[in-house]
Amino acid sequence: MPVTKVLTAGIGEVDLRDFTVYRDRGGYKQWERAVRELQPAQVLELADRSGLRGRGGAGFPTGKKWSFLPNDNKPRYLVCNCDEAEPGTFKDHMLLEQTPHLVLEGILLGAYGIASHHAFIYIRGEFKRGFEIFSKALDEARAAGLLGKNIFGTGYDLEVTVHRGAGAYICGEETGLLNSLEGKRGEPRLKPPFPAIAGLYGMPTVVNNVETLAYLVPILEKGAEWFAAVGTERSKGYKIISISGHVRKPGNYEVALGTTVRELIEIAGGLREGRTLKAVQPGGGSSACIFDEHLDWPYDYESMAKAGSMLGSGAFVVFDDTTDFVKCAFNLVRFFAHESCGQCTPCREGGHWLETVLHRFVEGRGLRSDLEMIRRVSSTITGLNLCALGDSIEPFLKSVINRFPEQFEARIDARSLQQNGSPAMAASAR
Amino acid sequence: MSSTPTQPDLVHLTIDGVAVEVPKGTLIVEAAKTVKQEIPVYCYHPKLGPAGLCRVCLVEVEGMPKLQIGCNTPVSDGMVVHTQNAKVDTGRSMILELLLVNHPLDCPICDKGGECDLQDYAMAYGRGSSDVADAKTSKPKGVDLGPTIVLDEERCVVCQRCVRFDDIIAQENQLVLKDRGARDIIATATGEPYRHNFTGNVTEICPVGALTSKTYRFKSRPWDLQRTQTSCTQCAVGCQQMVDVRSGTPLRTMSVESDDAISDGWLCDRGRYNIGFYASPERITQPLYRKDGEFHQIGWDDAFSLWAKAIKSSIAANGAASVGAIGGGRLTNEEAFFLQYLFRALGVENLDWRAGTQRQAGPGASGGTYAELERADAIVIAGESPAERAPVMDLRIRKAVARNGATLIRIAPAEGTPNVACIDVATVAQAIEAMPSGAKRVALVWDGVDLQLGAELAKAASGWAGLRTYVTGEQANARGAETMGMLPREGAMDTLAMFAAAREGRLDVLSLFGVNPVLHASDAAPTRAALERIPFLVVSDLFMTETAAMATLVLPAKGAFEKGGTTTNLTGDVLPVNQSLQAPESALSDFEMLIGLAQHFDEVALPTSEELDERVIGLCAKPPVADGFGAGRYASAAPSRPAPRPSDGLAVVVHSAVFAGGGTSAHDERIASLRPLPHASLGAQDAALYGLQSGDRIDLECDGVLLRDMVVAVRPGMRPGIVALTGGLPGRAANSLSAGARARVVNVRKAAAPVGV
Amino acid sequence: MRKNLYNVGAILKGLSITFAFMFKKKPTIEYPSVKKQHAPRFHGLHELRRYADGKERCIGCELCSSACPANAITVIGAENTPEDRTSPGERHAARYEIDELRCIFCGMCEEACPTDAIVLTPRFEMADYRRGSFIYAKDRLLVPPGAGLGPAPDERPNGIPSDLGRVAEVKSTMDIAQGYSATNRGETLKTQRKGLAP
Repeated sequence: MPVTKVLTAGIGEVDLRDFTVYRDRGGYKQWERAVRELQPAQVLELADRSGLRGRGGAGFPTGKKWSFLPNDNKPRYLVCNCDEAEPGTFKDHMLLEQTPHLVLEGILLGAYGIASHHAFIYIRGEFKRGFEIFSKALDEARAAGLLGKNIFGTGYDLEVTVHRGAGAYICGEETGLLNSLEGKRGEPRLKPPFPAIAGLYGMPTVVNNVETLAYLVPILEKGAEWFAAVGTERSKGYKIISISGHVRKPGNYEVALGTTVRELIEIAGGLREGRTLKAVQPGGGSSACIFDEHLDWPYDYESMAKAGSMLGSGAFVVFDDTTDFVKCAFNLVRFFAHESCGQCTPCREGGHWLETVLHRFVEGRGLRSDLEMIRRVSSTITGLNLCALGDSIEPFLKSVINRFPEQFEARIDARSLQQNGSPAMAASAR
Repeated sequence: MSSTPTQPDLVHLTIDGVAVEVPKGTLIVEAAKTVKQEIPVYCYHPKLGPAGLCRVCLVEVEGMPKLQIGCNTPVSDGMVVHTQNAKVDTGRSMILELLLVNHPLDCPICDKGGECDLQDYAMAYGRGSSDVADAKTSKPKGVDLGPTIVLDEERCVVCQRCVRFDDIIAQENQLVLKDRGARDIIATATGEPYRHNFTGNVTEICPVGALTSKTYRFKSRPWDLQRTQTSCTQCAVGCQQMVDVRSGTPLRTMSVESDDAISDGWLCDRGRYNIGFYASPERITQPLYRKDGEFHQIGWDDAFSLWAKAIKSSIAANGAASVGAIGGGRLTNEEAFFLQYLFRALGVENLDWRAGTQRQAGPGASGGTYAELERADAIVIAGESPAERAPVMDLRIRKAVARNGATLIRIAPAEGTPNVACIDVATVAQAIEAMPSGAKRVALVWDGVDLQLGAELAKAASGWAGLRTYVTGEQANARGAETMGMLPREGAMDTLAMFAAAREGRLDVLSLFGVNPVLHASDAAPTRAALERIPFLVVSDLFMTETAAMATLVLPAKGAFEKGGTTTNLTGDVLPVNQSLQAPESALSDFEMLIGLAQHFDEVALPTSEELDERVIGLCAKPPVADGFGAGRYASAAPSRPAPRPSDGLAVVVHSAVFAGGGTSAHDERIASLRPLPHASLGAQDAALYGLQSGDRIDLECDGVLLRDMVVAVRPGMRPGIVALTGGLPGRAANSLSAGARARVVNVRKAAAPVGV
Repeated sequence: MRKNLYNVGAILKGLSITFAFMFKKKPTIEYPSVKKQHAPRFHGLHELRRYADGKERCIGCELCSSACPANAITVIGAENTPEDRTSPGERHAARYEIDELRCIFCGMCEEACPTDAIVLTPRFEMADYRRGSFIYAKDRLLVPPGAGLGPAPDERPNGIPSDLGRVAEVKSTMDIAQGYSATNRGETLKTQRKGLAP
């Protein structure tokens, strides 16, 4: 299946950051149509029928998520999650920087779909350029009367607030993001209550990914059936895949879901000359690796889950035979341990512990008992955490330690066990 | 959690094979308690609710793939819960192993060792061994968090109970979690010392030894301590507390978690930390008799005969009206009863408990409980707020406002803005206007000082729905003393009248029991003048107070930990006072002193102890006198002082402070840093008018009296035109400027930079 | 005469036993100048140890006093200050007293001690004239500053002494510091007396 251009249409060809260019290409037409002609419930129904699933990682059906909002008179909020920090993912900030108006139109449609009068976009702190581009786009749209009070004279009010994060992975977790947006410490909240019931400022809130919201624009334009027609049975539509790693042309590629893993690697230019594929991490840092036996599997939510991994945010990292998986595992675990908010015990202490042990492996000072310990600790802490971060430590680690045990065993040093059999003394005696 | 009185729906579930029936919405940890199955918790606390951080309360719920946390999973019908099985044990032991990865394991020197949840659970649920092969991360130990608390970051399990206590209960929001991941630490948000009136509670809710009290640090191990439950008698709230004594020294006090009716399980820092004075070397240890202007130590027999002789000869010469006694607010009910019994038996009717500014202790017929205060829709505070006078009661108000949505209305506030939302009004009439419509339960809190204001309040409040009244007193047992009859009857002299009579030379013998009017009366100069003219002044106290220094006979008394009895708190609960300490050898309780005195009066028939108890119980059980705030029987027959000369200046208001040094807390150096500075508090408006900022030093001048070197504290929210001084500070006694007088600001010395107050 | 000599045989027989013992090894020793060799794990008077750098090992944790079946030990802890660092870490014993009259020399204190601070030495002579003098406080229990053993834990990584248990096997650090072993003191004195040793 070839690369398609839906959200990415026009990127690299024209300057979509320009308000007039975007409008001339039919931009904001769907927004105008929605406000003038459609009821919020119709937008929700469209989103539901299209089978659009959350593109941020969890893959939760968008229409279903919206329908969880209680029918009360409380204000409700839409929050666009642009805190893209998953290792290997770089699609959202491309959209933000290249086609900010599409992102904004998606936010507007999403907010309309849940009948919200205030939407927020939480932009990761490092995306300074994206923030500036988007803020300018927002100002232009506001000046053109596309948002604000009494939009298109329909009496519908909608305001969009831009918030810049301060650079914490955990603020990409929806409740962590809400806390950060409220000005509190960015740490996940205890659930229940879920954000749909008590989210931002205690009000019903929907948090959607940039890409999810952006797909609302073509869905409104071409219909839910058009979107649902591509993809596999339960993974419908298109997805921007961030392909990186040992491929010749890494980058963002928009494809229909269900494209095979082999095709994706080919799309990205294939492996380097003379190299063989070792593993692919198909869904960002939190996902387990898939291996060459999965090459012809379709890349969709269900197949990736069946392969023991997940599609996640569509960060597709390719590893060839030059990869040091001990270093890879250490790097990822270090990332999660560093980004742990420190609230709950398994993630805080478990992540730190595994990081310390893997660091010893990287330095070639592993202990034979460590391998068993890593397996035991990483698998036991999974499922005990307050949020998904702690559960993200295990998948990659476990998949590579099971698949490439020889790489880990090569780093075991029997001398670490010297001195009274006390590894503690050995570890610190260096 | 919910306080709605409606019959809750019951949910049926099975916990460890036992069928349980609990109200809907109950959490599994609480439900498990009904089958006596303890689920370990660190972050969960019944008063703070779930946080889901420690993950140690894991349980298995059938039908759910993952282990669930018992602290945030509400029960549902037909749920099958296992709190003990192999899967749960694996999860729990993992959590405990993880908690110990970076724990320093310095249990031998940890103050919590022996009563530590981490020790207990590690023994009960832990693996017993660990695979940790690496060095532990080191974090700061012995961090000085504030004047009361030491923090050990290494021992912290980051349950955030302390952070949530500060946020939810105390509403102070000082403590926060800083940094993240395995490097996170507890600290104050601003980096300033952790300081408010309830800091000690965090040491108690800390499940490990991370937060410890400075006063208790390394003093003892839990198994050395002898524990006695008693009622705190440092203010009129009446919190239940545990006194822990090691070989005759009270080392710490702890709250009683089950004390929901009164303290809600919390203590203020004075109740918790002001216990060092019992062992102070400054205590009076012998009766002292003044002869030729010098105090001489005498024996108790001599003291009693001198005292009795003075009373006898005075009654014989000038009649019983020339004798008086003041006290009872710091005594037990039994002592207060016996005090008035003995003196009335001698024909002496000049009896009063009031020695400070407070004029009334009884709230009348509509006196409420703390639970009712917490559930009030509107709370009206008139006079001084309970924040410093009755601190733990103030926690109820904070709870009512911040968590139960009550409206707080302050009439003519003389304090800064509290931590919770409030409406400030100037007059009683405006308070009625500010009352939210549909308020069904109104609580009225008054400080019992200004009877005129009280009467005004009583009149206004008569129309308020579901009215509950509270009088926050200066003295712990003021209400009890009043109930026991330590108020002058018709025709007898009250305190002010006695002082007036003394100034005219008509009072010969005055006995003071645990009161210090020189420091606490609203006006120091006339009080001093009165006491100077009394030929035979008897003072019973623990320390040589300003008043005791003027006495003819000083009697060493026992403190509340050293005697038994009952006390009545401001809501009228009669509470036990239990002895936990041995008094210094020659100190007697006021009761024992009165018995000693009575031995010299053969005509007085002493009641047996059964009779005494019976009469005290009878008086306690009597319904409160129906007359409400500002009732006539509290008014003084004493000639009123001439009104202060109107001149430009600020009206002087005297405030309590939790740690004002005039009382016992002046005798413990360990809590010296908690004593308030001699603050002169001004509203923001007045501060701007006088060009003052917090930290400036000023002198206050009033009718030729100069109060030197006061520290300016600018408190937004104070009404304009007043300056509030902390009462009871020896050396800078606020009552040397007469209350209500107008003081002029003189000799301003600017601070280099404004300082926090 | 014969009659008088009748008992000589019996006397000689009796004396032969006596004479026989004269040539056996004597069980009596010349105490106090000669002392008996004690069993290696003999429990005698306590000593309170130091680290090699002179810091006290005792951290005032009171585990000895709570383990003591005779309630003979009193410990009051106090905090180390930067000016006065008595022991490694934060806490030291401000007071450490053992009532040696109450003590049953069971060695539970030694077992309970987490830092090998309190150890029972082979010394056993504590006779005195007053009961009060059997309450041994730190002034008599503590070994001299030069008699410390083992590196203090703040010099070690992790703060956990690795030589726990092994320091307690050294029976008396005080004796090592003074140049002789209490157990063999008697032998030393004996040889000194015979002029065989300096």
